[in-house]
Amino acid sequence: MTNRTAIIAANGELFDAYKVFNIATAAAASEHEVTIFFTFEGLNLIHKQAFQQLPLPAGKEHFAEGFKQANVPEIPELIEMAQELGVKFIACQMTMDVMGLEESAFVDGIEVGGAVTFLEFAKEADVTLTF
Amino acid sequence: MIETAHIVDAKGLACPMPIVRTRKAMKELVPGDVLEVLATDKGSTADIKAWAAGSGHAYLGTETEENVLHHFIKKDSAQAEVKKEIPVIDLAAFVKKMQEEQLTIVDVREQQEFDAEHVPGALHIPLNEVEARMDELNKEETIYLICQTGRRSGIAGIRLAENGFNNVLNVVPGMTDWTKQTMKRGNES
Repeated sequence: MTNRTAIIAANGELFDAYKVFNIATAAAASEHEVTIFFTFEGLNLIHKQAFQQLPLPAGKEHFAEGFKQANVPEIPELIEMAQELGVKFIACQMTMDVMGLEESAFVDGIEVGGAVTFLEFAKEADVTLTF
Repeated sequence: MIETAHIVDAKGLACPMPIVRTRKAMKELVPGDVLEVLATDKGSTADIKAWAAGSGHAYLGTETEENVLHHFIKKDSAQAEVKKEIPVIDLAAFVKKMQEEQLTIVDVREQQEFDAEHVPGALHIPLNEVEARMDELNKEETIYLICQTGRRSGIAGIRLAENGFNNVLNVVPGMTDWTKQTMKRGNES
């Protein structure tokens, strides 16, 4: 009954993080095999420092209160949950090279790979999403 | 709500937490167990339904009490199995019958609900204890099951029917209408 969900995370603001991790955890909780490919600004979402304080989109700062009221989980908590559920994180090697980032800057348990690593997984995916 | 093995409390949690918690709890149950998920996230009904269908569990239904959604899911049960329903008796007909004869009535709600108000003479066996306490009931007697709306009593009835109780009736809609239209607490004998 396993399905595959392949997600590309290419943007790095708070809304993007929720879109990516909510879908990823929900899919994993539904027994999907899930891989997320983090590329360009998407790398912020798994960057140890950056993910603590992801910005709200310009002009949407007033939603901070709404996030608190709705009791949505914090991003680090969602990441931990995603990993517990077996979601695989692939950080884009090329972006890391461009930005001068090392693997140690990211949360533990990620893989570093290129587009082909992701495509190998995604070609058999039932659901493919880009955020 | 003490039976942690069969109840997930996801009240106050936003998507996707109710589903994540549900999945975690479901893993620890055995096929046929019924899990009750408490949630306040209004999207959780549709999510739980979809999740259950996708993972091979049977969604039994949702009961709403004071803004809390109670979702019921049966582990690893094909949809066909839950179609089975036990006969129902209308609350008014039940009340009339009660006045005519001594009935065996089982209230399957939680302790605090039972304490707040219940049908006089009702035996209290919360839904999660029904399986374990079946031997307190007589298979030969007609048993009237009651809860708040008829949902939990319906599930209890299926449980009993599976275990050889052939004379089980579900009182519908249950205590919610009892409180409104029939006897108030002061009338209990």
